[in-house]
Amino acid sequence: MRTPTVLLLVLALHVGAAPALAHHSFAAEFDSKQPIKLTGTVTKVEWTNPHVWFYIDVKDETGKVTNWGMEMGGPNGLLRAGWTRNSMKAGDEVTVDGFKARSGRPLGNATSVVLSSTGQKLFAASSQGQ
Amino acid sequence: MRVALASAVMLLVASAAHAQWLNLPTPGVPRLPDGRANLNAPAPKTTDGRPDFSGIWHAPSQKYLANLAADGIEVPMTPWAREIFKQRTDSNGIDRPSASCLPHSVTDFDAHNTPRKVLQSPGLIVMLYEGYHTFRQIFTDGRALPKDPEPAWFGYSVGRWDGDTLVVDTTGIHEKTWLDDAGHPHGEALHVIERFRRVNFGRMDVQITLDDPKAYTKPWTVAFQWELMPDTELLDWVCENNKYFDVLPKDR
Repeated sequence: MRTPTVLLLVLALHVGAAPALAHHSFAAEFDSKQPIKLTGTVTKVEWTNPHVWFYIDVKDETGKVTNWGMEMGGPNGLLRAGWTRNSMKAGDEVTVDGFKARSGRPLGNATSVVLSSTGQKLFAASSQGQ
Repeated sequence: MRVALASAVMLLVASAAHAQWLNLPTPGVPRLPDGRANLNAPAPKTTDGRPDFSGIWHAPSQKYLANLAADGIEVPMTPWAREIFKQRTDSNGIDRPSASCLPHSVTDFDAHNTPRKVLQSPGLIVMLYEGYHTFRQIFTDGRALPKDPEPAWFGYSVGRWDGDTLVVDTTGIHEKTWLDDAGHPHGEALHVIERFRRVNFGRMDVQITLDDPKAYTKPWTVAFQWELMPDTELLDWVCENNKYFDVLPKDR
């Protein structure tokens, strides 16, 4: 399993040089004091500007499933960092680190995405930091 | 092992980028022996002997987009500007135009880290901004700025050469635009003076002076650099999926 390590390195290098950018104010939408970690199954990926969004079904301890929407950076920054629209697909199980929306709805900003099947880490190009 | 790793890297980058022309070598770029762009090579000249600013450039970070005064310089705000700035700060920049898919303007695009392609002809310099899929024209054909301009998102820009430095005067920017993401405001009398100097092949000095008596008691100046982005290409950027307002607190 060499490839995941390589991919991680490649992404780290590229992303370090060219962080993706939010078109909106991170602080107006998301709460940097409310980190979240979610594991679930991808239901949809929207490979679009101004932000890539993906949705995951997350099961809580009672078995109730909630569909969470997660924002990433823009697709162009992700493309230049080595992502494609096929890097994460519906049906993939992923673990996401990020921050919750201030609104309290099941929405967040992803800072990292790890594919459960391979442990491969897909940098999310979070829109935080401006 | 090392070769295998390098091959895997090349393959990954190539497979991700090839379809979008993201790794085609840019013609005319001086190269190091290993094939990488030599960004420390001398700045190129046009056939008429002017500095040639052509290329894809960006600010390497979001630092000055986030706040033009990021270096701690004093921003001499008038009470009018101070009140607007405070409101924008207190509301976490919720009303920033770009959040509604409106483009940035002159100064915040200067400070932006998304790519812009500079096209240079003898009487006109064009900046094609990848972000918001928009552009700006700087006329260098000797024309004067309009006397009573209709306020416009990018205003009206004319440039002239001061040695190797391009000095660009811009007026007529309407008040809806923010100077940066922090929300520094301006009035319609704003006069932006930009000074661009290509230091070498890979770096551009950018200096911005903001002269606006409604918002600032005296002119203030910010300086930073652009870096060349060789071997890439502009990509599509249409604000088609703006979910910003889905996420806002309900009590807005």
